[in-house]
Amino acid sequence: MSATDRRVREVFIELSDTLVDDFDIIEFLDRLAARCSELLGVSACGILLADHHGVLNLVAASTEQARLVELTQLQNSEGPCLDAFSTGHPVQHPDLRDARGRWPRFTAAAIGAGYLSVQALPMRLRDKVVGAVNLFSRSTGQLDADTITLGQALADAATIGIVHQRAMARQEVVTEQLQTALNSRVLIEQAKGFLTHSLSIDVDEAFVVLRHYARANSRRLTDVADDVVQGRLTMSALRSVTPG
Amino acid sequence: MDHERSARVWGAIRAVANGDDSSLSLLHAVTACAQVLSAAGAGLALTSSGGMLEPLLATDAEIGELDELQSSLGEGPSGDAISAGAPVLETDLAGLNAGRRWPSFSAAVAGRGMHGAFAFPVAAGAAKVGVLSVYRRQAGPLRAEQLQDALVFADAVFVLALDQRHGVSADLDEMIEAAFTARRAEVHQAAGRLAAQEGVSVADALALLRAHAYSSGQPLHRVAADVMSGSLKLESGSSPPGGPTDPKELDPDHAENEQEED
Repeated sequence: MSATDRRVREVFIELSDTLVDDFDIIEFLDRLAARCSELLGVSACGILLADHHGVLNLVAASTEQARLVELTQLQNSEGPCLDAFSTGHPVQHPDLRDARGRWPRFTAAAIGAGYLSVQALPMRLRDKVVGAVNLFSRSTGQLDADTITLGQALADAATIGIVHQRAMARQEVVTEQLQTALNSRVLIEQAKGFLTHSLSIDVDEAFVVLRHYARANSRRLTDVADDVVQGRLTMSALRSVTPG
Repeated sequence: MDHERSARVWGAIRAVANGDDSSLSLLHAVTACAQVLSAAGAGLALTSSGGMLEPLLATDAEIGELDELQSSLGEGPSGDAISAGAPVLETDLAGLNAGRRWPSFSAAVAGRGMHGAFAFPVAAGAAKVGVLSVYRRQAGPLRAEQLQDALVFADAVFVLALDQRHGVSADLDEMIEAAFTARRAEVHQAAGRLAAQEGVSVADALALLRAHAYSSGQPLHRVAADVMSGSLKLESGSSPPGGPTDPKELDPDHAENEQEED
Protein backbone atom coordinates (compact mmCIF):
# COMPACT_ATOMS: atom_id res chain seq x y z
CA MET A 1 0.00 0.00 0.00
CA SER A 2 1.43 3.39 -0.98
CA ALA A 3 1.66 6.28 1.44
CA THR A 4 -1.25 7.97 -0.35
CA ASP A 5 -3.45 4.88 -0.19
CA ARG A 6 -2.69 4.54 3.48
CA ARG A 7 -3.62 8.18 4.07
CA VAL A 8 -6.88 7.78 2.09
CA ARG A 9 -7.76 4.82 4.27
CA GLU A 10 -6.93 6.75 7.43
CA VAL A 11 -9.12 9.65 6.34
CA PHE A 12 -12.14 7.45 5.63
CA ILE A 13 -11.69 5.75 9.01
CA GLU A 14 -11.39 9.15 10.68
CA LEU A 15 -14.54 10.38 8.93
CA SER A 16 -16.58 7.29 9.78
CA ASP A 17 -15.41 7.57 13.39
CA THR A 18 -16.87 11.06 13.43
CA LEU A 19 -20.24 9.71 12.31
CA VAL A 20 -21.35 8.62 15.75
CA ASP A 21 -24.89 9.26 16.96
CA ASP A 22 -24.41 12.67 18.46
CA PHE A 23 -21.92 14.07 15.98
CA ASP A 24 -21.56 17.70 15.04
CA ILE A 25 -22.37 18.23 11.39
CA ILE A 26 -20.40 21.44 10.94
CA GLU A 27 -17.34 19.96 12.63
CA PHE A 28 -17.63 16.92 10.33
CA LEU A 29 -17.94 19.01 7.15
CA ASP A 30 -15.17 21.33 8.25
CA ARG A 31 -12.85 18.36 8.75
CA LEU A 32 -13.95 16.87 5.44
CA ALA A 33 -13.16 20.13 3.61
CA ALA A 34 -9.66 20.13 5.11
CA ARG A 35 -9.06 16.45 4.24
CA CYS A 36 -10.35 16.99 0.68
CA SER A 37 -7.70 19.64 0.03
CA GLU A 38 -5.00 17.41 1.47
CA LEU A 39 -5.91 14.14 -0.29
CA LEU A 40 -6.80 15.59 -3.65
CA GLY A 41 -3.75 17.84 -3.77
CA VAL A 42 -5.82 20.98 -4.24
CA SER A 43 -5.36 24.30 -2.48
CA ALA A 44 -8.80 24.71 -0.97
CA CYS A 45 -12.21 23.13 -0.70
CA GLY A 46 -15.71 24.50 -0.06
CA ILE A 47 -18.93 22.61 0.69
CA LEU A 48 -22.33 24.05 -0.21
CA LEU A 49 -25.81 22.75 0.66
CA ALA A 50 -29.16 23.65 -0.87
CA ASP A 51 -32.00 24.88 1.34
CA HIS A 52 -35.75 24.64 0.76
CA HIS A 53 -35.69 27.77 -1.38
CA GLY A 54 -33.34 25.95 -3.76
CA VAL A 55 -30.58 28.35 -2.68
CA LEU A 56 -27.07 27.05 -2.03
CA ASN A 57 -25.57 27.94 1.36
CA LEU A 58 -21.91 27.69 2.27
CA VAL A 59 -21.58 25.24 5.18
CA ALA A 60 -17.82 24.65 5.30
CA ALA A 61 -14.59 25.90 3.71
CA SER A 62 -11.01 24.82 4.28
CA THR A 63 -9.56 28.33 4.02
CA GLU A 64 -10.78 31.86 4.51
CA GLN A 65 -9.94 32.80 0.90
CA ALA A 66 -12.04 29.91 -0.39
CA ARG A 67 -14.89 31.05 1.83
CA LEU A 68 -14.83 34.51 0.27
CA VAL A 69 -14.72 33.12 -3.27
CA GLU A 70 -17.64 30.81 -2.45
CA LEU A 71 -19.66 33.73 -1.10
CA THR A 72 -18.95 35.70 -4.29
CA GLN A 73 -20.26 32.74 -6.22
CA LEU A 74 -23.45 32.59 -4.15
CA GLN A 75 -24.09 36.32 -4.15
CA ASN A 76 -23.79 36.58 -7.90
CA SER A 77 -25.57 33.32 -8.63
CA GLU A 78 -22.83 32.19 -11.00
CA GLY A 79 -19.96 29.75 -10.76
CA PRO A 80 -18.99 26.10 -11.12
CA CYS A 81 -20.73 24.96 -7.92
CA LEU A 82 -24.06 26.37 -9.06
CA ASP A 83 -23.58 24.65 -12.42
CA ALA A 84 -22.69 21.32 -10.77
CA PHE A 85 -25.71 21.68 -8.50
CA SER A 86 -28.17 22.51 -11.28
CA THR A 87 -26.91 19.89 -13.75
CA GLY A 88 -25.96 17.14 -11.29
CA HIS A 89 -22.66 16.64 -13.15
CA PRO A 90 -19.05 17.52 -12.30
CA VAL A 91 -17.90 20.86 -13.67
CA GLN A 92 -14.23 21.51 -14.36
CA HIS A 93 -12.29 24.51 -15.56
CA PRO A 94 -8.54 23.88 -15.96
CA ASP A 95 -7.58 27.53 -16.50
CA LEU A 96 -9.77 30.20 -14.99
CA ARG A 97 -8.06 32.88 -17.06
CA ASP A 98 -10.18 31.53 -19.94
CA ALA A 99 -13.37 31.43 -17.89
CA ARG A 100 -14.24 35.12 -17.77
CA GLY A 101 -16.95 34.71 -20.40
CA ARG A 102 -18.55 31.85 -18.47
CA TRP A 103 -18.52 33.23 -14.90
CA PRO A 104 -17.19 36.82 -15.01
CA ARG A 105 -17.59 37.75 -11.33
CA PHE A 106 -16.67 34.36 -9.91
CA THR A 107 -13.56 34.23 -12.10
CA ALA A 108 -12.42 37.67 -11.00
CA ALA A 109 -12.84 36.74 -7.32
CA ALA A 110 -11.13 33.34 -7.71
CA ILE A 111 -8.14 34.73 -9.59
CA GLY A 112 -7.96 37.60 -7.10
CA ALA A 113 -7.64 35.01 -4.33
CA GLY A 114 -4.85 33.25 -6.25
CA TYR A 115 -6.81 30.28 -7.63
CA LEU A 116 -6.21 29.31 -11.25
CA SER A 117 -8.33 26.20 -11.72
CA VAL A 118 -11.52 24.83 -10.25
CA GLN A 119 -13.48 21.62 -10.02
CA ALA A 120 -17.05 21.26 -8.71
CA LEU A 121 -18.59 17.93 -7.75
CA PRO A 122 -22.32 17.41 -7.12
CA MET A 123 -23.44 15.94 -3.78
CA ARG A 124 -26.00 13.38 -4.85
CA LEU A 125 -28.55 11.44 -2.89
CA ARG A 126 -30.24 9.00 -5.26
CA ASP A 127 -31.97 11.13 -7.91
CA LYS A 128 -31.60 14.35 -5.95
CA VAL A 129 -28.70 16.81 -5.83
CA VAL A 130 -28.45 18.23 -2.30
CA GLY A 131 -25.37 20.41 -2.70
CA ALA A 132 -21.90 20.61 -4.23
CA VAL A 133 -18.22 20.42 -3.31
CA ASN A 134 -15.84 22.96 -4.83
CA LEU A 135 -12.10 22.33 -5.25
CA PHE A 136 -9.71 25.19 -5.94
CA SER A 137 -6.10 24.97 -7.14
CA ARG A 138 -3.37 27.58 -7.34
CA SER A 139 -2.03 25.89 -10.48
CA THR A 140 -3.70 25.35 -13.83
CA GLY A 141 -4.59 21.95 -15.25
CA GLN A 142 -7.14 19.19 -14.94
CA LEU A 143 -7.40 16.76 -12.08
CA ASP A 144 -6.80 13.21 -13.29
CA ALA A 145 -9.59 10.64 -13.37
CA ASP A 146 -8.44 8.86 -10.18
CA THR A 147 -8.37 12.09 -8.23
CA ILE A 148 -11.86 12.99 -9.44
CA THR A 149 -13.13 9.55 -8.44
CA LEU A 150 -11.64 9.99 -4.98
CA GLY A 151 -13.11 13.50 -4.82
CA GLN A 152 -16.55 12.15 -5.68
CA ALA A 153 -16.18 9.51 -2.95
CA LEU A 154 -15.43 12.28 -0.45
CA ALA A 155 -18.42 14.28 -1.72
CA ASP A 156 -20.57 11.19 -1.22
CA ALA A 157 -19.14 10.81 2.29
CA ALA A 158 -20.29 14.38 2.97
CA THR A 159 -23.80 13.52 1.77
CA ILE A 160 -23.88 10.39 3.92
CA GLY A 161 -22.67 12.42 6.87
CA ILE A 162 -25.52 14.84 6.44
CA VAL A 163 -28.30 12.31 6.01
CA HIS A 164 -26.71 9.86 8.51
CA GLN A 165 -27.83 6.88 6.51
CA ARG A 166 -27.04 5.38 3.17
CA ALA A 167 -29.67 4.44 0.64
CA MET A 168 -32.61 3.91 2.94
CA ALA A 169 -33.22 7.44 4.22
CA ARG A 170 -36.81 8.51 3.76
CA GLN A 171 -37.72 11.95 2.46
CA GLU A 172 -38.70 13.13 5.97
CA VAL A 173 -35.38 12.05 7.45
CA VAL A 174 -33.42 13.77 4.70
CA THR A 175 -35.39 16.99 5.15
CA GLU A 176 -34.95 16.93 8.92
CA GLN A 177 -31.22 16.42 8.65
CA LEU A 178 -30.58 18.91 5.86
CA GLN A 179 -32.44 21.50 7.91
CA THR A 180 -30.36 20.62 10.97
CA ALA A 181 -27.14 21.18 9.02
CA LEU A 182 -28.33 24.50 7.59
CA ASN A 183 -29.60 25.66 10.96
CA SER A 184 -26.31 24.75 12.65
CA ARG A 185 -24.53 27.01 10.18
CA VAL A 186 -26.89 29.90 10.98
CA LEU A 187 -26.28 29.40 14.70
CA ILE A 188 -22.51 29.49 14.20
CA GLU A 189 -22.74 32.70 12.15
CA GLN A 190 -24.77 34.29 14.98
CA ALA A 191 -22.18 33.20 17.55
CA LYS A 192 -19.36 34.57 15.37
CA GLY A 193 -21.15 37.92 15.17
CA PHE A 194 -21.70 37.87 18.94
CA LEU A 195 -17.99 37.33 19.59
CA THR A 196 -16.92 40.11 17.21
CA HIS A 197 -18.46 42.47 19.72
CA SER A 198 -17.70 40.68 23.00
CA LEU A 199 -14.06 39.89 22.23
CA SER A 200 -13.41 42.73 19.76
CA ILE A 201 -12.16 40.33 17.09
CA ASP A 202 -13.11 39.78 13.45
CA VAL A 203 -15.47 37.06 12.23
CA ASP A 204 -12.71 34.68 11.18
CA GLU A 205 -10.94 34.93 14.51
CA ALA A 206 -14.32 34.36 16.12
CA PHE A 207 -14.68 31.04 14.30
CA VAL A 208 -11.19 30.00 15.38
CA VAL A 209 -12.07 30.81 19.00
CA LEU A 210 -15.29 28.78 18.80
CA ARG A 211 -13.50 25.81 17.29
CA HIS A 212 -10.60 25.90 19.74
CA TYR A 213 -12.95 26.10 22.69
CA ALA A 214 -15.10 23.23 21.37
CA ARG A 215 -12.05 21.02 20.77
CA ALA A 216 -10.35 21.91 24.05
CA ASN A 217 -13.51 20.98 25.95
CA SER A 218 -14.61 18.06 23.73
CA ARG A 219 -17.90 19.76 22.99
CA ARG A 220 -19.93 20.12 19.83
CA LEU A 221 -19.33 23.33 17.92
CA THR A 222 -23.05 24.03 17.69
CA ASP A 223 -23.52 23.57 21.46
CA VAL A 224 -20.71 26.01 22.14
CA ALA A 225 -22.23 28.47 19.64
CA ASP A 226 -25.59 28.18 21.39
CA ASP A 227 -24.00 28.81 24.80
CA VAL A 228 -22.27 31.90 23.40
CA VAL A 229 -25.39 33.57 22.04
CA GLN A 230 -27.43 32.65 25.13
CA GLY A 231 -24.78 34.28 27.33
CA ARG A 232 -23.98 31.00 29.11
CA LEU A 233 -20.24 31.18 28.44
CA THR A 234 -18.02 33.80 29.97
CA MET A 235 -15.77 35.66 27.62
CA SER A 236 -12.78 34.95 29.85
CA ALA A 237 -13.36 31.19 29.41
CA LEU A 238 -13.33 31.67 25.65
CA ARG A 239 -10.37 34.03 25.74
CA SER A 240 -8.33 31.49 27.68
CA VAL A 241 -8.21 29.16 24.66
CA THR A 242 -7.67 31.91 22.12
CA PRO A 243 -4.58 31.04 20.12
CA GLY A 244 -1.87 33.65 19.76
CA MET B 1 -32.99 30.38 -6.59
CA ASP B 2 -36.54 29.29 -6.21
CA HIS B 3 -38.30 32.66 -6.09
CA GLU B 4 -41.36 30.99 -7.50
CA ARG B 5 -42.06 29.00 -4.36
CA SER B 6 -41.68 32.07 -2.15
CA ALA B 7 -43.95 34.07 -4.45
CA ARG B 8 -46.54 31.28 -4.44
CA VAL B 9 -46.50 30.95 -0.65
CA TRP B 10 -46.75 34.69 -0.03
CA GLY B 11 -49.46 34.90 -2.73
CA ALA B 12 -51.50 32.30 -0.84
CA ILE B 13 -51.12 34.32 2.39
CA ARG B 14 -52.13 37.50 0.56
CA ALA B 15 -55.23 35.75 -0.84
CA VAL B 16 -56.36 34.73 2.65
CA ALA B 17 -55.71 38.29 3.93
CA ASN B 18 -57.71 39.78 1.04
CA GLY B 19 -60.69 37.61 1.96
CA ASP B 20 -60.38 39.14 5.41
CA ASP B 21 -59.88 42.64 4.02
CA SER B 22 -56.91 43.31 6.28
CA SER B 23 -53.11 43.41 6.25
CA LEU B 24 -51.03 40.23 6.49
CA SER B 25 -51.21 38.57 9.88
CA LEU B 26 -49.86 35.44 11.50
CA LEU B 27 -53.31 33.83 11.34
CA HIS B 28 -53.47 34.48 7.59
CA ALA B 29 -50.13 32.71 7.12
CA VAL B 30 -51.11 29.74 9.28
CA THR B 31 -54.49 29.45 7.53
CA ALA B 32 -52.90 29.60 4.07
CA CYS B 33 -50.40 26.95 5.12
CA ALA B 34 -53.17 24.55 6.17
CA GLN B 35 -54.98 25.18 2.86
CA VAL B 36 -51.96 24.71 0.61
CA LEU B 37 -50.99 21.49 2.42
CA SER B 38 -54.59 20.19 2.33
CA ALA B 39 -54.31 19.71 6.08
CA ALA B 40 -57.05 19.47 8.71
CA GLY B 41 -55.61 22.59 10.23
CA ALA B 42 -52.53 24.36 11.51
CA GLY B 43 -51.48 26.24 14.59
CA LEU B 44 -48.74 28.47 15.91
CA ALA B 45 -47.14 28.24 19.33
CA LEU B 46 -44.56 30.76 20.49
CA THR B 47 -41.56 30.16 22.71
CA SER B 48 -41.89 32.00 26.00
CA SER B 49 -38.90 33.51 27.76
CA GLY B 50 -38.73 30.35 29.89
CA GLY B 51 -38.32 28.22 26.78
CA MET B 52 -41.83 26.74 26.98
CA LEU B 53 -44.17 26.66 24.00
CA GLU B 54 -47.35 28.67 24.39
CA PRO B 55 -50.08 28.15 21.80
CA LEU B 56 -50.98 31.51 20.22
CA LEU B 57 -53.47 30.76 17.50
CA ALA B 58 -54.92 27.96 15.39
CA THR B 59 -57.17 27.58 12.38
CA ASP B 60 -59.95 26.17 14.58
CA ALA B 61 -60.71 25.01 18.13
CA GLU B 62 -59.91 21.34 17.47
CA ILE B 63 -56.40 22.21 16.25
CA GLY B 64 -55.96 24.65 19.12
CA GLU B 65 -56.68 21.82 21.56
CA LEU B 66 -53.99 19.64 19.98
CA ASP B 67 -51.41 22.40 20.39
CA GLU B 68 -52.63 22.94 23.98
CA LEU B 69 -52.21 19.23 24.67
CA GLN B 70 -48.62 19.27 23.45
CA SER B 71 -47.95 22.30 25.60
CA SER B 72 -49.60 21.03 28.79
CA LEU B 73 -48.16 17.50 28.51
CA GLY B 74 -44.75 18.93 27.68
CA GLU B 75 -44.20 16.46 24.86
CA GLY B 76 -44.94 16.17 21.16
CA PRO B 77 -43.54 17.00 17.74
CA SER B 78 -43.54 20.78 18.35
CA GLY B 79 -41.30 20.69 21.41
CA ASP B 80 -38.89 18.32 19.69
CA ALA B 81 -38.78 20.54 16.60
CA ILE B 82 -37.84 23.66 18.54
CA SER B 83 -35.11 21.92 20.53
CA ALA B 84 -33.67 20.14 17.47
CA GLY B 85 -33.84 23.22 15.25
CA ALA B 86 -35.29 21.03 12.50
CA PRO B 87 -38.74 19.85 11.45
CA VAL B 88 -40.28 16.80 13.11
CA LEU B 89 -42.51 14.92 10.74
CA GLU B 90 -44.75 12.30 12.31
CA THR B 91 -46.65 10.42 9.64
CA ASP B 92 -48.69 8.25 12.02
CA LEU B 93 -49.58 9.35 15.54
CA ALA B 94 -51.17 5.93 16.14
CA GLY B 95 -47.95 4.13 15.17
CA LEU B 96 -45.32 2.50 17.35
CA ASN B 97 -42.74 5.21 16.81
CA ALA B 98 -45.05 8.00 17.98
CA GLY B 99 -46.17 5.89 20.96
CA ARG B 100 -42.60 5.41 22.09
CA ARG B 101 -41.51 8.96 21.47
CA TRP B 102 -44.51 10.76 22.99
CA PRO B 103 -46.49 8.24 25.06
CA SER B 104 -48.81 10.76 26.76
CA PHE B 105 -49.45 12.88 23.70
CA SER B 106 -50.13 9.95 21.38
CA ALA B 107 -52.46 8.38 23.98
CA ALA B 108 -54.28 11.70 24.40
CA VAL B 109 -54.90 12.15 20.67
CA ALA B 110 -55.92 8.53 20.05
CA GLY B 111 -59.52 8.40 18.87
CA ARG B 112 -59.52 12.01 17.68
CA GLY B 113 -59.06 10.89 14.09
CA MET B 114 -55.86 12.87 13.62
CA HIS B 115 -52.87 10.91 12.32
CA GLY B 116 -50.31 13.21 10.76
CA ALA B 117 -48.53 15.79 12.93
CA PHE B 118 -45.83 17.92 11.33
CA ALA B 119 -43.91 20.53 13.30
CA PHE B 120 -41.74 23.22 11.67
CA PRO B 121 -39.49 25.49 13.73
CA VAL B 122 -40.25 29.18 13.26
CA ALA B 123 -36.63 29.97 13.87
CA ALA B 124 -33.16 30.71 12.54
CA GLY B 125 -30.31 29.42 14.68
CA ALA B 126 -30.67 30.79 18.20
CA ALA B 127 -33.54 33.04 17.15
CA LYS B 128 -36.35 30.69 18.14
CA VAL B 129 -39.73 32.36 17.77
CA GLY B 130 -41.97 29.31 17.91
CA VAL B 131 -43.32 26.31 16.03
CA LEU B 132 -45.76 25.98 13.14
CA SER B 133 -47.78 22.78 13.61
CA VAL B 134 -49.71 21.13 10.81
CA TYR B 135 -52.18 18.30 11.42
CA ARG B 136 -53.69 15.87 8.94
CA ARG B 137 -56.47 13.34 9.47
CA GLN B 138 -54.88 10.70 7.24
CA ALA B 139 -51.62 8.92 8.02
CA GLY B 140 -48.72 9.13 5.58
CA PRO B 141 -45.97 11.52 4.58
CA LEU B 142 -46.33 14.95 3.05
CA ARG B 143 -45.31 15.02 -0.59
CA ALA B 144 -41.84 16.45 -1.26
CA GLU B 145 -43.46 19.57 -2.74
CA GLN B 146 -45.69 20.08 0.30
CA LEU B 147 -42.73 19.65 2.59
CA GLN B 148 -40.78 22.39 0.80
CA ASP B 149 -43.87 24.65 0.85
CA ALA B 150 -44.27 24.09 4.59
CA LEU B 151 -40.65 25.14 5.21
CA VAL B 152 -41.24 28.34 3.24
CA PHE B 153 -44.46 28.97 5.21
CA ALA B 154 -42.46 28.62 8.43
CA ASP B 155 -40.02 31.24 7.10
CA ALA B 156 -42.97 33.50 6.25
CA VAL B 157 -44.39 33.13 9.77
CA PHE B 158 -40.91 33.88 11.13
CA VAL B 159 -40.56 37.21 9.34
CA LEU B 160 -44.18 38.19 10.07
CA ALA B 161 -43.66 37.47 13.78
CA LEU B 162 -40.39 39.42 13.88
CA ASP B 163 -41.84 42.38 12.01
CA GLN B 164 -44.86 42.64 14.28
CA ARG B 165 -42.52 43.40 17.17
CA HIS B 166 -41.84 46.74 15.60
CA GLY B 167 -45.17 47.29 13.92
CA VAL B 168 -43.56 46.87 10.51
CA SER B 169 -45.98 46.07 7.74
CA ALA B 170 -44.13 45.65 4.48
CA ASP B 171 -45.63 45.00 1.10
CA LEU B 172 -45.47 41.61 -0.51
CA ASP B 173 -42.51 42.26 -2.81
CA GLU B 174 -40.43 43.55 0.08
CA MET B 175 -41.38 40.47 2.06
CA ILE B 176 -40.30 38.05 -0.64
CA GLU B 177 -37.11 39.97 -1.25
CA ALA B 178 -36.22 40.15 2.42
CA ALA B 179 -37.17 36.60 3.36
CA PHE B 180 -33.67 35.59 4.35
CA THR B 181 -32.72 34.12 1.05
CA ALA B 182 -29.73 36.31 0.24
CA ARG B 183 -26.45 36.82 2.06
CA ARG B 184 -27.73 35.16 5.17
CA ALA B 185 -24.32 34.65 6.75
CA GLU B 186 -23.86 38.41 7.05
CA VAL B 187 -27.37 38.98 8.36
CA HIS B 188 -27.01 36.33 11.04
CA GLN B 189 -23.56 37.57 12.04
CA ALA B 190 -25.01 41.07 12.41
CA ALA B 191 -27.88 39.72 14.54
CA GLY B 192 -25.35 38.02 16.83
CA ARG B 193 -23.24 41.16 17.08
CA LEU B 194 -26.24 43.34 17.82
CA ALA B 195 -27.47 40.86 20.45
CA ALA B 196 -24.10 41.16 22.23
CA GLN B 197 -24.01 44.97 21.91
CA GLU B 198 -27.52 45.56 23.17
CA GLY B 199 -27.89 42.64 25.56
CA VAL B 200 -31.01 41.42 23.75
CA SER B 201 -31.95 38.02 22.31
CA VAL B 202 -30.85 37.12 18.79
CA ALA B 203 -34.51 37.13 17.72
CA ASP B 204 -34.94 40.68 19.04
CA ALA B 205 -31.73 41.69 17.28
CA LEU B 206 -33.00 40.28 13.97
CA ALA B 207 -36.27 42.14 14.43
CA LEU B 208 -34.30 45.35 15.02
CA LEU B 209 -32.28 44.81 11.84
CA ARG B 210 -35.40 44.25 9.78
CA ALA B 211 -37.19 47.25 11.28
CA HIS B 212 -34.23 49.46 10.47
CA ALA B 213 -34.05 48.10 6.91
CA TYR B 214 -37.71 49.01 6.33
CA SER B 215 -37.59 52.42 7.95
CA SER B 216 -34.38 53.40 6.16
CA GLY B 217 -35.38 51.83 2.84
CA GLN B 218 -32.10 49.91 2.69
CA PRO B 219 -31.72 46.23 1.87
CA LEU B 220 -31.30 43.99 4.90
CA HIS B 221 -27.85 42.77 3.87
CA ARG B 222 -26.55 46.34 3.68
CA VAL B 223 -27.86 47.16 7.14
CA ALA B 224 -26.16 43.95 8.31
CA ALA B 225 -22.87 44.91 6.67
CA ASP B 226 -23.00 48.36 8.30
CA VAL B 227 -23.60 46.81 11.72
CA MET B 228 -20.66 44.45 11.20
CA SER B 229 -18.32 47.24 10.09
CA GLY B 230 -19.36 49.34 13.09
CA SER B 231 -20.56 52.20 10.90
CA LEU B 232 -24.16 51.74 12.08
CA LYS B 233 -25.25 51.63 15.70
CA LEU B 234 -28.77 50.38 16.34
CA GLU B 235 -30.35 50.65 19.75
CA SER B 236 -32.94 48.36 21.22
CA GLY B 237 -34.64 51.25 23.02
CA SER B 238 -37.06 51.62 20.15
CA SER B 239 -38.82 48.32 20.84
CA PRO B 240 -42.47 48.57 21.90
CA PRO B 241 -43.39 48.61 25.61
CA GLY B 242 -44.26 45.32 27.22
CA GLY B 243 -41.23 43.55 25.82
CA PRO B 244 -41.08 41.89 22.45
CA THR B 245 -40.73 38.40 23.91
CA ASP B 246 -44.20 38.58 25.45
CA PRO B 247 -46.41 36.53 23.08
CA LYS B 248 -49.44 38.68 23.81
CA GLU B 249 -47.65 41.70 22.41
CA LEU B 250 -47.17 39.97 19.09
CA ASP B 251 -50.74 39.95 17.96
CA PRO B 252 -52.97 41.88 20.32
CA ASP B 253 -55.92 41.95 17.91
CA HIS B 254 -56.00 38.25 17.33
CA ALA B 255 -54.81 36.57 20.47
CA GLU B 256 -58.21 36.33 22.13
CA ASN B 257 -60.66 34.85 19.67
CA GLU B 258 -58.51 33.05 17.19
CA GLN B 259 -59.28 29.53 18.26
CA GLU B 260 -63.01 30.02 17.83
CA GLU B 261 -62.80 31.25 14.26
CA ASP B 262 -63.38 29.35 11.05
